[in-house]
Amino acid sequence: MQYIAPLAKLIEQFRRLPGIGPKTAVRLAYHVLAMEKDQAKAFAEAIIEAKDKIGYCSVCFNLTDCDPCRICRSEERDGSLICVVEEPRDIAAMERTREYRGFYHVLHGSLSPLDGVGPDDLRLKELLERMRDGKVVEVIMATNPDVEGEATAMYVARLLKPLGIKVTRIGHGLPVGGDLEYADEVTLSKALENRREM
Amino acid sequence: MRINKLVLRNFRNYSELSIGFKDNINILIGNNAQGKTNILEAMYLGAIGRSHRTSVESDLVRWSETMSAVEISFIRQDIDNKLLFKLKTDTAREIYFNEYPIKLKELVGSLNIVLFSPEDLWLIKGVPALRRRFLDVEISQAVPTYYRYLMQYSRILSQRNNLLKKIRERKESASLLDSWDDQLAKAAVYIVNKRLESIKKLGMLANLMQRKLTASKENLTIVYKQANGEECIPKDLYGWYLKKLVTLKNDDIMRGTTSVGPHRDDIILKVNDKDLRSFGSQGQQRTGILALKLAELEFLKSETGEYPILLMDDVMSELDIKRRQQLLLFIHNRIQTFITATDDALFPDKKIGHYYRISAGTIVE
Repeated sequence: MQYIAPLAKLIEQFRRLPGIGPKTAVRLAYHVLAMEKDQAKAFAEAIIEAKDKIGYCSVCFNLTDCDPCRICRSEERDGSLICVVEEPRDIAAMERTREYRGFYHVLHGSLSPLDGVGPDDLRLKELLERMRDGKVVEVIMATNPDVEGEATAMYVARLLKPLGIKVTRIGHGLPVGGDLEYADEVTLSKALENRREM
Repeated sequence: MRINKLVLRNFRNYSELSIGFKDNINILIGNNAQGKTNILEAMYLGAIGRSHRTSVESDLVRWSETMSAVEISFIRQDIDNKLLFKLKTDTAREIYFNEYPIKLKELVGSLNIVLFSPEDLWLIKGVPALRRRFLDVEISQAVPTYYRYLMQYSRILSQRNNLLKKIRERKESASLLDSWDDQLAKAAVYIVNKRLESIKKLGMLANLMQRKLTASKENLTIVYKQANGEECIPKDLYGWYLKKLVTLKNDDIMRGTTSVGPHRDDIILKVNDKDLRSFGSQGQQRTGILALKLAELEFLKSETGEYPILLMDDVMSELDIKRRQQLLLFIHNRIQTFITATDDALFPDKKIGHYYRISAGTIVE
């Protein structure tokens, strides 16, 4: 079906979003058209404002509306700890635990030759830079537990160890509160491999 | 394990088919190009998630249609199950297990099948890739974790190979290889150990079968051969892989591929200590394959507690009368089997088996 030009343009914009297929894009576009004008305006402005005001922190490369970001500015956090993650959203996940009180570093990706991502495409130089003042004692590698995240963790470990920094990897294993029987086989066999004495 | 019912919609030459099957031996009789093998193909798809004949999935959809469905009702461990495949020419296929959508990696191991076809002779004569695939399909059906490790291994491998090519073109530094080698070695160790363990069992079972088929005159052994390896499998496999990956590094960079690992290994079948591939007669090779296939059935039984379903695609005419009888004797009252043949004269004992006549996409019992 042919849509009138402004509608087609809107549909196309929605379709570019992740997880949005052609049908959902049409639904969303009609929904926007049914909105009050004020609401539609607020929606559009929210997008522009987010784009304008949010940038990357010059220290940890997390998303922030002030530089350095609020986490990097904090004086209550433990300066000897840095947790390395792949994406800004991983920081949000770590922060939800309220357990971790160190600093972060976002690599913005993981090593993947197939996708043409090498060490120069990640924020690695900046991570090394942060080791200079000698305050950091331990770096926790919290990259994803997939093939690429594992390779990235290994690479960073080899980079930092000669500097005398302790590099650790977050554990893989069973989800807490879950049932053993529902765990997939590889997770379970990894959990078995990383078992500990009681 | 047994298949109760098969429903095909727009699958190959079938527009609509719904057919129930009996325990024991089901014989599909019909002339060439009537759709006998298509039925076996649908069952194989249900077990392995791909056709044994083509890697192009849209080939399975009936000509000029865009969607096809395969529904298999089967009993596993006394429980009724239903698998549904929706194949589409334009989008990805969907798999449902008991009405619940699943991924391919969750499918493997649900319905176990052993396929025996004339192409199996290539297991002896053909390239190592065929023998690796044979092993991988067998072990994956028995141990689904193995399949997941295989997928992981192949992912690491393609990352590493891609990196090797980039290093060759001087786009990346060779020091980056270290970050992939460790993972590759770990996954390789799991895969090779599982293969060795399975070959030990499979080899023992195959030898029993070979001796039965040859009146104890021939002994069949299966040997695992590591690419770039020595005669014996090293004790510290992990350390061995790490060392090999380093010593072969420059060669690997030059070639742009990884030259050591389970993706390069092979198995050798020997009869009375002689390589069946180079020294076996045509007859010996056929007996060897038959012994191997029968061993496969026993292997899956010992691993999963149940005999798998046996599909025999046009193999009856390949076997002589004696072996045919030995084979039917073995499966009778034991394993649900689907046999395709052009001629019922191949089955001297008419009481064995249930007959279906197939012509141009229709079936009559």
